[in-house]
Amino acid sequence: MYRTLSLSALIAVLAGSSAFAAATCSTTTPDKFKPQADLQKMLEGDGLQVRQIKVEKGCYEVYAVDKAGKKVNAAYNAETLEKTASAEAGEN
Amino acid sequence: MQKPARIDELSTDHETSAGGPVGVVRVWDPLVRIFHWTLVLSFVAAWLTAGWAENVHQWAGFYAAGAIVVRAVWGVLGTQFARFSQFVRGPSEIARYLISMSRGTEARYLGHNPAGGAMILVLMTMIIAAFATGWMMTTDTLFGVPWVGLLHSLIVHAIALLIVIHVAGVATASIRHKENLVLAMLTGKKAVN
Repeated sequence: MYRTLSLSALIAVLAGSSAFAAATCSTTTPDKFKPQADLQKMLEGDGLQVRQIKVEKGCYEVYAVDKAGKKVNAAYNAETLEKTASAEAGEN
Repeated sequence: MQKPARIDELSTDHETSAGGPVGVVRVWDPLVRIFHWTLVLSFVAAWLTAGWAENVHQWAGFYAAGAIVVRAVWGVLGTQFARFSQFVRGPSEIARYLISMSRGTEARYLGHNPAGGAMILVLMTMIIAAFATGWMMTTDTLFGVPWVGLLHSLIVHAIALLIVIHVAGVATASIRHKENLVLAMLTGKKAVN
């Protein structure tokens, strides 16, 4: 019981820390970027309505709204399509 | 040829600057001057932070819009040379002024000249439009909608162009009438003649 608790606590800590280790923008050349359509499909699968995708250096900045109609602004590594910590990641 | 100065509607009980040369009057009150220069700062701040420092960018926009509202009220209730009625002229007078300016024969005004007055109204309107479209971009309804961002950008670039024209006009008038209008907007003081 005690062991399970501490194990789950450890997992929670690890999961938490990995959630904070957000991706940064890609540093490769644009020819290695994944297509924007892939990102759009991925986001639409998450229930987002994508309004605009801008290329910001090595990131795709997404302007979207969720199912509730709330705005969602996020940036994704253009090479891996991993979400970055900030929507402005590509512009700093 | 020496052109006669045009001292329109200058009240006879104007205050002369304490200790300053005779014939110097305070034309621009503190609110006008603070409005002018903080508006410059907020525009520069907004321009430089566009896209990457949203927080500063939005505060600059809110400041500019708020300042313009205050200035508009002051344009009705404020001091003599701050009032719209003192410097806003009709299109034909503005056109006549611009024509005489192109010939180098335009009159000197103690307050804003007709072209300057028109520029003030245009800039205030355009900055409000920039604020309005910028604010629209933050709403759930219009967030990320391309035409809103494009319109905001077009308005802001038009403002930048207007500022260039404004500065050119100020420089021209300063040279023509041998007075430093930038300094006047800092100190508020201008020579009567």
